[in-house]
Amino acid sequence: MTMRNWIQIFALLMPGLGLILVLIGSVVYIAIAQSFGYYALLGESAFSTEFWSEVFSRKIFSRAVRYSIYIGFWSAVLSVALAYPLAIWLRKPFPGSIGLGALLKAPLLVHGLVAAFLYINVISYNGLLNQTMQGIGIWAEPRRLQNDSNAFGVLLLQVWKNMPFALLVLTGSVQGISDDVLDAARDLGAGPWARFRKIIAPLTMSGMQAAMVIIFIGALADFTFQTTVGPTNRQSMAQLMVSFKSRGDWHSAAVVGVSLMIIALLGSALLALLTRTVMRGSPR
Amino acid sequence: MAAIGIRNLSKSFDGFQALSKFSLDVQQGEFLTLLGPSGCGKTTLLKIISGFLEPSTGSISIGGEDITRVPPENRDTALCFQSYALFPHLNVLQNLEFGLKQKRVSRDQRDARVSEVAAKLGLETQLSKLPNQLSGGQQQRVSLGRALVMRPSVILFDEPLSNLDAKLRDQVRVEIRRIQQDYSLTAIYVTHDQSEALAMSDRIVVLNDGKIVQVDTPEQLYAQPKTRFVADFIGGANLITGRVCSQTKENLTSVETLMGQIQTSHRINKSSENVELCWRPERAQIGKGPYCGTIVHRAFQGQFTDLILEENDMIFRIQTNNDRFRVGEVITFSILPDDVVVLEADG
Repeated sequence: MTMRNWIQIFALLMPGLGLILVLIGSVVYIAIAQSFGYYALLGESAFSTEFWSEVFSRKIFSRAVRYSIYIGFWSAVLSVALAYPLAIWLRKPFPGSIGLGALLKAPLLVHGLVAAFLYINVISYNGLLNQTMQGIGIWAEPRRLQNDSNAFGVLLLQVWKNMPFALLVLTGSVQGISDDVLDAARDLGAGPWARFRKIIAPLTMSGMQAAMVIIFIGALADFTFQTTVGPTNRQSMAQLMVSFKSRGDWHSAAVVGVSLMIIALLGSALLALLTRTVMRGSPR
Repeated sequence: MAAIGIRNLSKSFDGFQALSKFSLDVQQGEFLTLLGPSGCGKTTLLKIISGFLEPSTGSISIGGEDITRVPPENRDTALCFQSYALFPHLNVLQNLEFGLKQKRVSRDQRDARVSEVAAKLGLETQLSKLPNQLSGGQQQRVSLGRALVMRPSVILFDEPLSNLDAKLRDQVRVEIRRIQQDYSLTAIYVTHDQSEALAMSDRIVVLNDGKIVQVDTPEQLYAQPKTRFVADFIGGANLITGRVCSQTKENLTSVETLMGQIQTSHRINKSSENVELCWRPERAQIGKGPYCGTIVHRAFQGQFTDLILEENDMIFRIQTNNDRFRVGEVITFSILPDDVVVLEADG
């Protein structure tokens, strides 16, 4: 190849590659450097592992890690688990299926913060749910449902927001399976669960892994839902990072940020591996 | 008792009648072919037998047991798909044992059955390969093997050779028939290829517009088509209408046609005045004879030569082993009365 060809290829790659290298690369670099004491906004900049050891020694950090992994993992699993049957159901067109599919994907168009406020309105002390439950006589008095300690509200909103995305990815994958393949499995004695477990799941593995990983990363770093409907007795990693930053402790915030990236990377790999192991099963 | 009993089966889709009051018995070990043009209902019937479609009315039994409402996974049938429908993520071995695992057949039994079928189909060296690493013929064999290991009461074939090239089709056709006979399987085979049907079947069911037009052995179907549709669909046929003139003592009937008087030894309903006759192109005896025509087209086909003749604005076709005839030549020929079939009115 001539130099001219190389320059041409490089120029063509620049809009994509350049964006990745400049925008993402510089952010990652700054975060890592800041976590080791460089780029101090206040005071002296020098290499130090002090921020890492300090943050890691704090209980609030380990709790935030566990909590964020809990939210990320269950949001991914529940969103995909809910999206699968819907994707299979919508696999073949039927009257109204396009409208139904569009309706199910509507949450993609609603901003998370708006959804969180709507949710608060529903579950608040004088909200719709309390009124209904009292109205039909199941609850004698209103209950406090907001900011529940198990973060069910956060999970609910995460699933509500992310399930349509999983549905979008899985519908494409499921539609790629030919009718004959599914009919052949049925003809050979496979019931609905066996067909899902042995044919649909393995053949849509890439879509499922992509949906799981993307949802996991998004939910792991959740800030919006956590601050509006999350439990008040614990913080997510994103929340912890912001609280460090609010106090002007950019180095500790960077440590949390880098940890978040590492957990997202390792967690995604583990989740993809787990998905493969569970859905593929043993070969014989 | 028939292996399969089909009684008054009908199926309609949004007002379209795909099958209409269809009744048929298939005997144990028989190879029965459903033959007909696209949209005649043959695949619909196969899907009803395999359980993927429910009939609108009527019933199906296998071995005397009514299976009309039994789901496909619980039927003792195995279907070979036109597209092969192999599981792309499983290797040949896993494809072959898939059904056996679903039926919870023991590991020893499974291994024995798979080994036997793999040996029979020449798949022993392919067991670890994925379907996309196999040729079309090998994929077809895996599809067949996957059905055979199940040892079903009935094996169903949905145009299984249509994706293969002509040479491979001939080869796999022989293999399917051999295996069906070796295992004494009751087989229902769907095709629109009349040569496939003639070569493989014990009996052929000719379908048109969701109805049975004729059920017969391949030989009878070819030699004695009942209607214009069957005569035209199975092999080449010369069809000509005429008026009955006389009947002789030798049970020969003379029919006046545009070709001239044609004699037939086949029975004609005495009340019929106008009849339709059929004769096969290869039955014409070129040489002396009462009929003649000018060759307007000639196609050399290897074993024989196809000649298209024209006479009195009529076109007919003759096949001969002799390749010396040329376009423009006038030839004379005769047809034996036994080779002239009287057709019934269609429908």
